[in-house]
Amino acid sequence: MKTNRMVSVIWHFIIFTTVVILIFPVVFSIGVSFKPLADAYNNVLNFIPFPLTMENYAKLFHTLPVVKIVFNTFIVASVVTTFKLITSFLAAYAFVYFDFKGKRILYFVLISTIFIPFTVTMIPNYLIVSELGLIDSVWGVILPQLADAMGIFLIHQSMRGIPFSLIEAARLDHISHGRVMKDIVLPLVRPSVTSAGIWFFITTWNEFVWPVLILKTVDNYTLPLALQMFISSEGGTDFTVAMAVSVITMIIPLALYLMFQRYIIGTFTSSGIK
Amino acid sequence: MKDIVFENVSKTYGKTEVVKNLNFRVREGERLILLGPSGCGKSTTLRMIAGLEEITAGNLYMNGRRVNDVPSGERNVAMVFQNYALYPHMTVRENITYGLKVQKVPQDEIEKRLDHVLEMLQLIGCENRLPKDLSGGQRQRVALARALVKRSNYFLLDEPLSNLDVQLRISARKELKKIHDLYKQTIVYVTHDQIEAMTLGDRIALMYDGKLQMLDTPENVYNRPANVFTARFIGSPPTNILKINYFNGKVHIGSQSFTLSDMWVKHIGRKGTKNLLLGIRPEHIEISAQPLENSLRGKVKYVENQGNEYCVYTNLEGQEAAVISGHNHWRPDELVYLRLSGHRIHFFNAETEKSIGYPEALLDKQSPSHENIGQRMSV
Repeated sequence: MKTNRMVSVIWHFIIFTTVVILIFPVVFSIGVSFKPLADAYNNVLNFIPFPLTMENYAKLFHTLPVVKIVFNTFIVASVVTTFKLITSFLAAYAFVYFDFKGKRILYFVLISTIFIPFTVTMIPNYLIVSELGLIDSVWGVILPQLADAMGIFLIHQSMRGIPFSLIEAARLDHISHGRVMKDIVLPLVRPSVTSAGIWFFITTWNEFVWPVLILKTVDNYTLPLALQMFISSEGGTDFTVAMAVSVITMIIPLALYLMFQRYIIGTFTSSGIK
Repeated sequence: MKDIVFENVSKTYGKTEVVKNLNFRVREGERLILLGPSGCGKSTTLRMIAGLEEITAGNLYMNGRRVNDVPSGERNVAMVFQNYALYPHMTVRENITYGLKVQKVPQDEIEKRLDHVLEMLQLIGCENRLPKDLSGGQRQRVALARALVKRSNYFLLDEPLSNLDVQLRISARKELKKIHDLYKQTIVYVTHDQIEAMTLGDRIALMYDGKLQMLDTPENVYNRPANVFTARFIGSPPTNILKINYFNGKVHIGSQSFTLSDMWVKHIGRKGTKNLLLGIRPEHIEISAQPLENSLRGKVKYVENQGNEYCVYTNLEGQEAAVISGHNHWRPDELVYLRLSGHRIHFFNAETEKSIGYPEALLDKQSPSHENIGQRMSV
């Protein structure tokens, strides 16, 4: 009995510490974003500022077209996520349910592209985007990201878990591939599609290196680029405003998650192929 | 004609030939059972009818039309899969009606057919449940219902009862017969269970190693096996196959012999086969502790209790012969006398393992009824 309680105390301690470590930066940045600059340097440990100031947000909205930037980021993240999901789903479906020559080799080559570092494809991609005249456009950011081998891999793995006879039963009923995808396969792989979608959205939302290469004018910026303006600006790091950008960057995916939370959790709990 | 004709049909995967040169016809409205051990090609054969498996060589005709290249959806077949293949995210109602909805069957017609199968298969009350909330028997009935609502000409079943317990299997067999009497579809039914084959089949196609071994009525498959494989596969315990020498009208087993009846002597003489194997079912051997006329001497090896009777395994001149006995007097190493029932013997060519046929006098005799075989075998 005693040892059980001891184990439980240790576990709770570990969990508590992990939560604190994860939550701390969030609380810290929210706190700092509402502090005057001087206060931020002098009272570092005072997480909850008093009195609150909105001056950082005022400055931010004054210097940058924040709404436009949020909109740009949202467009990039949602278009990329949508297309990656569509292409991954279709490719995975073809790899699982169609037989064609060279299927295994093609799949192997495709999956091996996961291991190619971004820096290797960065320059060729830049040149293509530039040739297309898409420099300084969100579409230039979006275009090379419309497909993703990792997404194909994830969805492929979960599609393989669906008994093949389900698809055969549908074939016997003369049901088209489109209907099979929509009515049978998609509902059964929804958990992995949802997780891939969340993953795509967050990584694209936070993406920095690729947009910084493509986007030149502030009007076309995405949020991580705006953040960087206050960290390495010529007048020194504007720490508190940078935190305000952080909070905005963080708050939108979080709000989206909270909005769809029930649906997302439901996806993971209701699944289960027997 | 809703029949199915196999004409020199073969199927190979890479270099392995799983179905070899099949030639047979499934008659309109009959229940044909594809029976055989696992890996014999019976499921592949069924899947070729369904169009789920391509035909490597030969022709397959359905309803008089060559269907080698006709997609499964256009063959008008309904199939029940071994794992039922129910859509796990759809309710029973959705599972049953999904195909009809996609085919744009009018809603009132869908409802009519749904109500009918739900009632017939005792699924009323389960309409809104998911497959995972059903018992094995209910799932099997949903799979059956889904196939039935299509009202197809061909009904294909791939070991549909193999996941059910014995009681459910017996009731499901009855149900299937009832359904067939109602709809009269052409049924092709795959199973490795000979009792299922015997009780359900109008005819049985016994397959082994990708080849058709015998295609005939259950009575004939049981009583007139076409080859050694059929004789051994059908019936439990299996038919005894004994190595014999035949000369001067006598069957010699080791140093012993017994006299054959005239009709057999004439028949074997006509066939002219020298090298023979003798087959006889355990229930067609008489066993006695006292010498019998025209019998052979053996020694008891061990006795198996089969419930209402006993199977006595004996050593007959170094070969094993199983004998069914009504009582359990037999002790290991006991000397016994075995008499082989003359008109229940089968002879096979030892080289080809094919039956040499039967004397005409025997063929005229009526075979035991279908039901009796089922009972015998379910022991």
